[in-house]
Formats: sequence, structure tokens, C-alpha cells
Amino acid sequence: MKKYLALILALCMVFALCACGAKEEAPAAAPAAPAAPAEEAAAPAEAEAWAPDGPVTMIVSYKAGNGTDVTARILAQYAEKYIGQTIVIENVDGGSGSIGWSQLADSKPDGMTIGFMNLPNFNSSIVKELGTYTTADFTAICNHVTETSLVIVRADDDRFNSIEDLVAYAKENDTVASTNGAQASNHIGAQAFAVSAGFKYIDLPQGNTADELLSLLGGEADWCVAKVADIAGRTDVKVLAAFAPERVAEYPDAPTLAECGYYDQWLGSSRCVVAPAGVTAEMVEFYEQAFKATMEDPEYLEAASEFATDFKTSEETAALIEQQQAFTEGLSEGFWFE
Amino acid sequence: MLETLQLMGEGFINALTFVNLLAMAGGVTLGIVIGCLPGLSAAMGVALMLPLTFTMPADTGLIVLGAIYCGAIFGGSISAILIHTPGTPASAATAIEGYQMTLQGKAGKALATACWSSFWGGLLSCISLYFFSPLLAQLALKFMSAEKFWLGIFGLTIIAGVSSKSIVKGLMSGALGLLISTIGLDPIIGTKRFMFGQSFLAEGINTTCALIGLFSMSQAFILAEAEIKKRAKASKFTDKITLSKEEKKMLRPTVIRSWLIGNVIGILPGAGASIACFMGYNNAKQFSKHKEDFGHGAIEGVCGSEAANNAVTGGSLIPMLTLGIPGESVTAVLMGGLVIQGLAPGPELFTKHAAMTYTFFAGFVLVQFFMLAIGTLGCRGFAQISRLSDAILIPCVTVLCFVGSYAIHRNMSDVVVMLIFGVLGYLMRKFDLNTAAVVLALILGPISEKGLRGALRVSGGDIMCLFESPVCWVLIILSIVGIFSPFLMSKFEKKVAGVEVPDEELQ
Repeated sequence: MKKYLALILALCMVFALCACGAKEEAPAAAPAAPAAPAEEAAAPAEAEAWAPDGPVTMIVSYKAGNGTDVTARILAQYAEKYIGQTIVIENVDGGSGSIGWSQLADSKPDGMTIGFMNLPNFNSSIVKELGTYTTADFTAICNHVTETSLVIVRADDDRFNSIEDLVAYAKENDTVASTNGAQASNHIGAQAFAVSAGFKYIDLPQGNTADELLSLLGGEADWCVAKVADIAGRTDVKVLAAFAPERVAEYPDAPTLAECGYYDQWLGSSRCVVAPAGVTAEMVEFYEQAFKATMEDPEYLEAASEFATDFKTSEETAALIEQQQAFTEGLSEGFWFE
Repeated sequence: MLETLQLMGEGFINALTFVNLLAMAGGVTLGIVIGCLPGLSAAMGVALMLPLTFTMPADTGLIVLGAIYCGAIFGGSISAILIHTPGTPASAATAIEGYQMTLQGKAGKALATACWSSFWGGLLSCISLYFFSPLLAQLALKFMSAEKFWLGIFGLTIIAGVSSKSIVKGLMSGALGLLISTIGLDPIIGTKRFMFGQSFLAEGINTTCALIGLFSMSQAFILAEAEIKKRAKASKFTDKITLSKEEKKMLRPTVIRSWLIGNVIGILPGAGASIACFMGYNNAKQFSKHKEDFGHGAIEGVCGSEAANNAVTGGSLIPMLTLGIPGESVTAVLMGGLVIQGLAPGPELFTKHAAMTYTFFAGFVLVQFFMLAIGTLGCRGFAQISRLSDAILIPCVTVLCFVGSYAIHRNMSDVVVMLIFGVLGYLMRKFDLNTAAVVLALILGPISEKGLRGALRVSGGDIMCLFESPVCWVLIILSIVGIFSPFLMSKFEKKVAGVEVPDEELQ
């Protein structure tokens, strides 16, 4: 399926290139462009101020087929209608995402290159000095997907039926929490929870979420932190609490950590769309409106039913990036036990 | 059980799409071409073609690689039979009887035997693939840190197995590989190791780049260094490429024996197709009713060797897919192909990605039929290819190495890594070190390290945690057997007189 998609995309690109070569053909090649935004009552007036005049490159810092890539491709597919141009996904993976973000930061801020930023992995890469960029090298456009973190244990683990059971046990005994890697998202979650509840634990980095869960299910780890999508449809784990101000829709019975008096902020992972710093306000505005319209499109919503679409405005997203950055930096300064 | 049967059925339906069938035909053809070129081995061929599969869906990509693998192992017999030069080390034993048959004007019959035996060897080996893989994958669910450590150690003892010439040099190569595997962010606390400010090294040396360099680029250097000489002309042959019913009947027991030998050798890490062909040949000789024919063009000798080396293919995939332990260089490359697709070897291949896995299995079965058809029909054409001059081969390989390593991330730094490993591989071969051992250590080092440090972390530094579970003990015993396997193997090989094992034992 993806191959055909790629083929179609490639064909579109060829057509778009042809159109660029022969100017008179341009309107014929992209007939949907002006028509579609016109359907949006508010959009056209502002959108006319600036619009991309060729295929838009969208850099994804992970390889094709990765979670971010899948969601990005769905967004790109339905956003073309509102952007009026082909969106070409470019997978630039490696260096824990830092290669792609470096490339995005170095791209020309002409609005023709945008990309995906994964929080908090992006922030970790700055803290670990994997790239030379900072948050100031990017301009936020919008948020796309949000996944909330959860504290989970094995479904048949009788020791822990509530988050209080876990905390009480962990204060008396050494517990092991598997994570998806040193200082990766689920490690950050486990750390935030343990610090707020006042206990120490042994973290067991596994490098990826699949192995992290295997380690929990195999009995090596006592508990772990994972995101909603990681455990979707699983019956062998139970959710004790969520890292959110409000209860998570998928697990209404699980209290939030804030309710129980522990860590009271939202924690999880976010995938947001950003552009290199230096793009004009009109460009940001254009993309923000286009993606907002996309994320409200019923066709998109149907295709995106398997993940949690969460539109946030440019300002909100910028604030989130800064908040996550400050949080991740805080972790590196004495928050870790070692 | 029923669910598995359903998955198996669906696998065949998925494998029968036009794209997949095309992939099989193309892969087998390419594989045979690579196999019958004496300069190129199966692992090299798969490594060179690996980048072509990046953009394909996972199942199609793996089918292509599997098809090249099977095709190359069979293809080696063509040049072994016609010009007395095994195209790959896996056909070394085929050359003994095969060339004698050619001299007697029975080249067609020899090729038909090779093709027919390869087909049955490969096809029967699929049984073990279907039967054992899910079982082993179930077992892998129970593997925690300590078991993973021993699994890695067991895999590392393979290094002793693949270094057939000198164990010391094999261990040296392995140690070098382990050292290289520490490059990147450390897996437990995320410290940067040997990165020198290069963020592209954060995830460690890319195994695919390393193996393209070590296997393919270094071979191009080696070929370029030697004087380019004309290969012996493949003798024209006039007899038909067919086997009579009586001959097939006569060969049947040989095929069955060679299948069992090849299959078991395939599953056992360390020993590959190049050892299996000698064991199959020797076995055919022992059980033959016409022992006097051996050495003078015995059809059973060709059959025994070729059925055994192709029976290795299905078996060798099992530890790679289920445990992430490649037993030899070709499966190490195939594992690279799997990882590039974003799939990790292990139990998830049989749960979350079961549809893809069973499509690949079905493809692997169908590939055998393509091999039979293309092999039989195209023998005469392939025979001409085996004469291809190195002057053409070297630039082709070089270009593919560059394009391939660039294609992984579309990043020039990968090309640099590939070139460094190419030079490293060249020097290693000059010093008789083992490049396959480096690749295995590169893959297994992180598994072991993570397992050891994880287990010690959980136990609070108590080393006894490594000796607690029965699975650990089984792996410890297997590791000990693994270390001593080369002694047993060398004893066995001495019994087999005849063609010398080529230099590139497992390349």
C-alpha cells in the first residue's frame, strides 16, 4: 500500500516538475489547489498572502515505516488538498533524530521545507549535544499528535492494584522499571513519577518500547512507563495512572498522577510540525491554517483513527517546546540519580 | 494451531501478488548470476542488492533477498561444474564430481542434477522454517537480560566456528568487531563513546554500511589488485538438461540425507553452506552403491553436495529471525535487510508482524520453484556469464557499494564509513583475518553488553544472577560446544579428500 502511495507521490512530483518547466501548464497540473482552500470560509483571504509555489519538503527524522513516519504521511496526504502542493516526505534518520533536525535547522527558511519535531526526544538530543541546534533554530507551526504516558504493570501482578500499592511497595523494596532507552521518553516518565512519589528504583534501559514491554511481561521489571498507543489493545498489562491533568479517554478508570498527589504535569510525547527559524509570519500562518483544516477534515480523521490527533496553535506549540526543553534540561541537572 | 494454518494460507495469498512473483523471478535470476560469478559470493551479492529493497514493502524486500540467497547458493554450482571453479565456496564439493561429468560430456546432466537437488534441498528446508521458527520465537519471550547476555556469548562463540583457518585470528577479528560495536551512545546510561563529536555515530556504526564495506568493497579491492586474467572458457555442452525418472528415483535417498544434514547445519550457528556441501558429498559417497564412480563423475556426488548446501538456506534463517543471532555472513546481511525495514528479529515477527513473516515464508517456498524453472531453462545463458571479465565486474561492484551505502540514509557520512570498512576489510583479508567475524561481533556485541549490564543492574552487581535460570545453563553449554566445534569440523574436513576449500571460506 505504502509503495503505491510512494509511487503516486513520485508521479505527482514528476507532474509538478513538468509543470514548473512549462509555465503554461501550471494551472492544469494543480487544479485542486485554488479550489480547495476556497471551501474553507476563513482561509482564502489570509492564504493568498503567501502560498508555496512548488512541492513542499517535509523532513521526518526517523526512517520510513516508523511511528512518526506513518502519522506524518497520513497528515501529508490529506494536507495536500489545503496546501495546494505536493508534500514530499523526506526521511532523514540516524543519530537519534539529530541528523534530521540538523538538516531542518540548516534548511532555507523560504517556507518550502518544514519538518516534524518529536518531543521530548528532540529536547534530549539538545541536552545530549547530539546536534548544534537549539530550540531557537525552529519556528513552531502546530502540534499534530499527542500521546500521554501511563504507569503500567503486568495484568496478573497481584502486588499492585493501584498506584498507591506501587508507591508503598517501592518505598520498602527495590523495584525495577524497564525503559525505552537511557534518558528516552519513558525513562523521563519513570523518573518524574519516582521523584514526585519519593522513592528510588532501578531503571533498565531496553533501547526500544517493544523490548521494554517484553522485559515487563517477562517479569524482569516490576513496572514501567509507556504511552497510550504502545499498549493499545493489550490485555496483559494494566494501567495504574496517567501523566495528565485530566483522565485519559482510553482508560477512564485510571486516575491521573496529579489526583493521587504525585507528578502534576502532562507528560508523554508530542509530534509537532515546525519550520526552520527565519520563516515569515505569513508562512507560519498559512501552514497553521492549512494543517488545522486538515486535522478537522472528516476523511483525515477517519484515516487517522488509530492515533490521537491533537491540534495546537503555533503559540501553544512553541510554549510546549520551551516547557519540554526546560523540563528535560532540569532532568539533566541533578534530577537523575546517577 | 488453526490460527497458524490460516496465517500460513494468507501468506501464500499475499506472496502470489504480481509484484512479489516478479520479485522472486528477479531475485533468483540475480542470485544465480551472482552465484556463478567466481568473484562474488552469496553474502556479497545479498549485501550489494540490499539497498534495492529499501523502498520496497517489507515482505517483497525480504523475498528478493531470500531469492538472491537461494539463487546464489545454486548458481555457484554452474561454474563449479563447467569450469571447475566454484562460484561460491558453497559449491566447492560440487566441483569434484561435476567437472568430471563435464569432461565426459555429461555437463547437461550434471547441471540438471544440481538444479533438481537444490530445489528439493531448499524446499524441504522450508518445513523446518515453518515448524521451528514460531516455537523458538515463543521461547525468546522468556529471554531476559541474563539470557540475552548468554545468547550473545553463544553467538560470539560462532566466531570460533567461522574462523576455520586459525582460531586466534578469528578471535582477534571478533575482538576488533566488539571494540567497533562500542561506538555510539552507551545503551545503559547514554554516555557518548568514541563519537568524536560526530552525531551520526550516536546509534553506533551502521551494520549495513559496515558489511557492504567489509564484504563487497574489500572484494573489489582484492579483485582490482590481482592481474585480470581471462577465465577458462565454459565448455559447450550438447546433452539435454534433464534427469530421467530412474535417476530421480536413485537420487531420492541422497536428497533426503543431504537435506537433513544441511538443515541441521543451517540451524546451528557457525557452520554454513560451505561446510554442508562437503558433509553432503561425503555422506552421499558413504551410502552410495557405486562407490567406484566417485572421483569419475558420480551423479550422486553432485546431488549430495547441492541438496545439502541449499538445505542450509531455510535452516539458517531460523536463529536469525527468532533470536536475532545470525549464524553466518549471509544471514547477517539478511538481518540488515530486516532491520532497515524497521523490523526487529524476535517474537514480534510472529505476533505483530505475523502477516509479513508468513508472506516471506511463502515467498521462500515459491522461490524454490522459480529456482528450478529458471535454473533449468537458463543454464546455458548463465554458463556464459560465468566468464564475465573482472574488468567489468570491479567497477560494477564499486558503484553498487557507493550507491548502496548512500541510499541507507541518503547521507555521505555512511559512504565514508563504508569506504573505511572496505579498506579495513581489504587489510584484514591480506592478514588472513576474518571479516565475517567482525560483522557478527558488531551485531552481537550490543546484545551481550546490554544483557550483562542490565542483569547486573537488576541484581545489584551480584554476578550469580547470570547462572540462575535453566535457559542460561543451556546457553552456557551450547557456548562451550560452540568453542570446540572448529576442532570437530577440522577433523571431519580432513577426511574429505579432493578439492581444496577456497580461501574465502564464508564470504
